[in-house]
Amino acid sequence: MATILQARDLSKTVTTAAGDLTILKDINLSVDKGESLAITGASGSGKSTLLGLLAGLDVPTSGQVLLADEDLSALDEEGRARVRAERVGFVFQSFQLLPGLTALENVMLPLELSGKAGARQQAQDYLARVGLAERLEHYPPQLSGGEQQRVAIARAFACAPEILFADEPTGNLDSATGKTISDLLFGLNAEADTTLVLITHEDRLANRCARQLQLAAGELLISASAAVQ
Amino acid sequence: MLALRLLWRNWRSGEVKLLAIALTLAVTVVSTIALFTDRLESTLLEQSNSLLGADKLITSNQPHQAAWQSEAEEQGIDTSRVAHFASMVFAGDEMHLASIKAVGQRYPLRGYIDLSEQPFATSGPSVTRASGIPPAGEVWVDSRLLPLLHIELGDSLQIGEHSFTASKVIVSEPDGSGPFSVMGARIMMNMADLDKTRVIQPGSRVEYQWLLASDPDDLQAFVEWLEPRLTEHEEVVGIENAQRRLQGTLKTGRRFLVLAAVMGVLLAGVAIALAARQFAARHINPVALLKSLGVGARRIRLLYLAQLSCLSLLAALVGLALGYAIQELIALAVYRLYQIEMAPAQWQTYLLSVISGPVALVGFALPGLWFLPNVAPIKVLRQDLEVNTGAVLWQIAMACGVLILLVVVFGRDLMLGATVLLALAVVAVLAGLLAYGLLSLGKKAGAQAGSRWRLAVASIQRRRSASVLQVVVFATAVMLLLTLTIVRTSLIEEWQVKVPEDAPNHFLLNIAPSEVEPFQTLLDKNQLSVEQLYPMVRGRLTFINERPKPEDTLNREASLTWSDQLADDNEVVAGQWWDEWSGSESGLPGVSVEAEVAERLDISLGDELTFSIGGLEAKAEVASFRTLEWESLQPNFYFIFQPGALDDYSPMYMTSVYLPPEQKTFINTLLTNYPTIVVIELDRIINQIRTIVSQVSDGVGLVLLMVLLGGCLVLVASVNGSINERKQEAGLLRALGASRSLITGGVWTEFAILGFAAGIIAAVAAEALLIGLQVAVFEVPVQPHYIYWLLTPVVTAVFVAAIGAFSCRHAVNTPPAVVLREAA
Ligand SMILES: Nc1ncnc2c1ncn2[C@@H]1O[C@H](COP(=O)(O)OP(=O)(O)OP(=O)(O)O)[C@@H](O)[C@H]1O
Ligand SMILES: [Mg+2]
Repeated sequence: MATILQARDLSKTVTTAAGDLTILKDINLSVDKGESLAITGASGSGKSTLLGLLAGLDVPTSGQVLLADEDLSALDEEGRARVRAERVGFVFQSFQLLPGLTALENVMLPLELSGKAGARQQAQDYLARVGLAERLEHYPPQLSGGEQQRVAIARAFACAPEILFADEPTGNLDSATGKTISDLLFGLNAEADTTLVLITHEDRLANRCARQLQLAAGELLISASAAVQ
Repeated sequence: MLALRLLWRNWRSGEVKLLAIALTLAVTVVSTIALFTDRLESTLLEQSNSLLGADKLITSNQPHQAAWQSEAEEQGIDTSRVAHFASMVFAGDEMHLASIKAVGQRYPLRGYIDLSEQPFATSGPSVTRASGIPPAGEVWVDSRLLPLLHIELGDSLQIGEHSFTASKVIVSEPDGSGPFSVMGARIMMNMADLDKTRVIQPGSRVEYQWLLASDPDDLQAFVEWLEPRLTEHEEVVGIENAQRRLQGTLKTGRRFLVLAAVMGVLLAGVAIALAARQFAARHINPVALLKSLGVGARRIRLLYLAQLSCLSLLAALVGLALGYAIQELIALAVYRLYQIEMAPAQWQTYLLSVISGPVALVGFALPGLWFLPNVAPIKVLRQDLEVNTGAVLWQIAMACGVLILLVVVFGRDLMLGATVLLALAVVAVLAGLLAYGLLSLGKKAGAQAGSRWRLAVASIQRRRSASVLQVVVFATAVMLLLTLTIVRTSLIEEWQVKVPEDAPNHFLLNIAPSEVEPFQTLLDKNQLSVEQLYPMVRGRLTFINERPKPEDTLNREASLTWSDQLADDNEVVAGQWWDEWSGSESGLPGVSVEAEVAERLDISLGDELTFSIGGLEAKAEVASFRTLEWESLQPNFYFIFQPGALDDYSPMYMTSVYLPPEQKTFINTLLTNYPTIVVIELDRIINQIRTIVSQVSDGVGLVLLMVLLGGCLVLVASVNGSINERKQEAGLLRALGASRSLITGGVWTEFAILGFAAGIIAAVAAEALLIGLQVAVFEVPVQPHYIYWLLTPVVTAVFVAAIGAFSCRHAVNTPPAVVLREAA
C-alpha cells in the first residue's frame, strides 16, 4: 500500500528558562493510506508535539515529515497551510468550535474558506450523519460536550480530508459519550477510507486502530500489537 | 463576501460591538467638532460681511457702468446698489441734515435689516426682520430722527420735492455707519423714489456703492477682472479689518474646541485600543483554528482587514450622521436663541469626518491586532502557548501619530496637540506609579477591614495590572473632563470680563467744545457717567519722515486725539509715555502710535509723521507704540498726541457711556437738546460678541458630554476584558455559599476604590495641566480650584462604582451553574 505519511529522524528540542529540553528524539514512522494508527503514551511524553509535527502545525528541530510526498520541512508556513487545506483534517480534545457561530456555520466554515459551492448543503448532510440534524442553529455553549465533539467531527469529515489527526478526541468526555464519539469517528473513517492518526491514552480507543505506537519520554517503543503484526 | 459574512457573524456574537461603538464615538467627536467649527467660521465671516451688506463693494462718485453689470450677471455674481448722500429733511418747522441711503432691490446681499414700530427698541418682540427694501413712498428711519423732527411713526417727512411716510424705525442695518452717518440720522429709502426727490443734481456729493456677493473664488475672479477697469474715483472695499477683530475673539474659542476634540478623540482612541485588544485576545483561538484548517497568514490578514475596514466605514457613516445631528441641534438652538442662521459646512469637512473612521482604526486598533495573523497554528494543540502580542511602545507611538494627524488636519494647530499629548504622556506615567502606590495602600487597609472590603481588595490584587490601567485611564478621562470644565468656565468668565455687563454700549461723537459742560451736567442729572472726554480732530497721515504714506493702508481720515493719561486697556510696548518721554530734539510734539498700524506702515520710534488736518499740516515725532484691546469697546485711537499739540485745530469731543436698557430713552433727551451729537449704538456689536461666546460654549458643553461618554466606554471596555474571569469567580464564590449581596457589595467596593484613586490622581493632574494651559496657551492667570480637589474623588468613586457594577451585573446575577458552564 502507498505510504501517505512518513517521519524520518524527527527531533524536537525547545529552549526553556531551565535550558534546552528535548521533547522528541529520532522518531521514525510511516503510515499507509487508509490505515489507522494510534499513538499512546503517558502524559507529557510528547504525543501532542508529535501530532503537531506530523500535521505540519509546527516544524521539527531536525528530521523530515513527508505528507503525501511533500516535504513539510522544506515548505514555508504558507506552503504547509496549503497542504493542510488540501489534505488534512483535525479533531481536538477541546473541540475548538467558534462560540459565536452556530453548529451549522462551524461546519460550513472550512468549506466556505475553500470556496467550494454548496457548503450549506454539505454541512447539513454531515451534521445529520452525526445525529445533529435538529441542532443546526444551536451555538456551541448550548450544546453538551459530546454534541460539540460531534459537530467537530462533522466539520473534520465535511472537507473530505485524506488524513485525519485526532488529539484525545474523547479526553474531555465521559466513557459512554466517548464510546459514541469513537463509534462515529471510526464509522465515518471507514466510510470515507480516510487515514487516521489518533492520540489517546485510552486503551479501548487505541485498540480500535489497526496499529499502535507508544511514546515514552519522547522516544517510540514498538508496541505489542505492532510486533504481532 | 466571505469577509462580510464573517463580519456579520462576529457582529451577531457581540465581539465587534464595543469596537464599533468606540469607533463611532471617535468619528462622532471628530465630525461634531469639525462641522461645528467650520460652520462657526463661515458664519462669522458671513456675519461680518453682513456689516457691509455684501462680500465686497465698489464705491464711486457715479453709478457703476452698465457693462460691468452684465459681466457680473454672466459670472453669476449677485449685485445690488446703494446711493448715500446727505440731505436736509423737513417735517413741519423742524429740519435735520440726514444721512440718506437709497437702496436697490435685493439690498442687502449679506445680513438683514431689523425693523421695529417702537422707537429705540433694540430687541424684543417688536423687532422684526425686513423681507425686502422700503416700499415706494415709505422710508425707514433712525429712531433718533423722530425726536429731532418732532414726529412719530406714521407721520410724513419731506426729502427734496417728495413726501414720504416714516413707517418703521431701523433697529439694525448692514453698514450702519455709512460715510455720512457722522452728520446725521439715517434714513433708508427705495432707489426707485430717488429721482422724484430731485435732490441729486450735477455736482451733488453722492457716494454710490455697488454691492457684490458670490462664492469667494468667483468673486475674486470678478474683482480681478474689474480692478484694471476702475478709475481713480472707484475703490474696492472689503471688510478684512472687521473680520480680523472678530476672528481674534474667536481664536481662543476655537483653540478650546480643538483641545476638547483632542481629548475626546484621545478617550475614544483608548476605548478603541482596549476594544481592539479584547477582540484580538478573543480571536487568538479562532485564528489558530483557521490556520489548522489551512488558511495562510496573508489570507487571514486580508480577511480581518476587510472585516475591520467595513466596520470602520460603517462606524464612520453612523458617527458622521450622529455628529451632523448633534451640531445641527446646536445650530438650531443658536438660531432659536439669536436668529442667526449658521452657514453650511464645506463638503471637505464631511469627507474628512468620514475618513477619520478608518484613520482611527489604523491608529488605535490595528497596532493591537497586527500580531493576530502570526499566531502559530500549533496553538490549537497547546493552549498554554504564549502569544507574542507585539510591542506596546509601537502601538502607543502609532496612536500618538494618528492623534497628531487628526489634530493638525482638523484643528490646524500642531503646537496645541503636541503640548497636550506630551502633558498626557507625563500624566499617564505618573498616574501609573501613583495608582500602584494607592492600590498597595488599599491592600494594607484591606487586611483589617470587613469581608466586602477584603473581597474587593483581593479582586483588585488579582487583576493588578488591569486595575492600574483602569485607574490610569479613568484618571485621565476625569482629568480631561475637569480641565475642560474649568477651562471653559474660566474662558467664559474671561470673555465676560472683557465685555463687562456695564461696558460702554454707546459712543457719543461730535460734541462741540461749548457743549461739553452742559452735556456733563445733563449726564449727572441722569446719574450717568463717562470715563473721559476725548478731543478729536479728523486728519490724514501724509508723510512718514520724507516718504509718502504707503497707498494701501489707512486711506480714510483717522481720528486724532490728545491725552495726558493712558487709558486702562492701552499699554505702551515701546518708547515712553509722556511722563517719561524726554521730548523731541527738533522740538516737535510727541505722538503715540498703535503698534499694529505702526508695523503695517513701517513706522519706527523717532520718526517724524506729517498729518493733513483740514488742509493744514501738523508734524509730530513718534514717542511710543501702544497696544490696545478692541474688544474692550472703549474709544480707541491709532494716534494719540501730546496734550496741546493740536490746540490750533478746533476739536470736537467724543466719549462712551453705558446706558442700561431702561435708560435707552436718554438718547431722546440728549438728541433733543443737542441735535448735532452723533450716537453710535454699540449694543449691537456687544450682542454679536456675546452670541459668539455662547455659540462656542454651547459647542463645548456638548463636547464635554462626549468626553464623558468616551470615559464610560473605556471603563466598560476594560471591565469587559475581565468579565469571563469575573463570572467564573462569582459563580465559584456563590457555589461556595457567598450571598449575592456580598458579591455585589464587593464589586461596588472594588470599583469605588478604583474610582477614588482615579479621582485623587485626576484632581492633581488636572491642576497641573491647567497651570500649564493657563500659562502657555490661554494666557490667563493661574488659580487653584480647591473645591474640585474635594469633590472629584468622591464623585468619581460613586460614578465608577455605578458603571463597574453595571458592567458586572451579569457576572453577579446569573445563577452559578450557568455562569460556570458559560465560562468554561
Ligand atoms: N514549546 C514548548 N516549550 C516548552 N515546553 C514544551 C513545549 N512544547 C512541549 N513542551 C513540553 O514537552 C512535553 C510534552 O508535551 P506534549 O504536549 O507533547 O505532551 P503530551 O504527551 O501531549 O501530554 P498530555 O497527555 O498531557 O497531553 C511537556 O512536558 C510539555 O510541557
Ligand atoms: Mg497532549
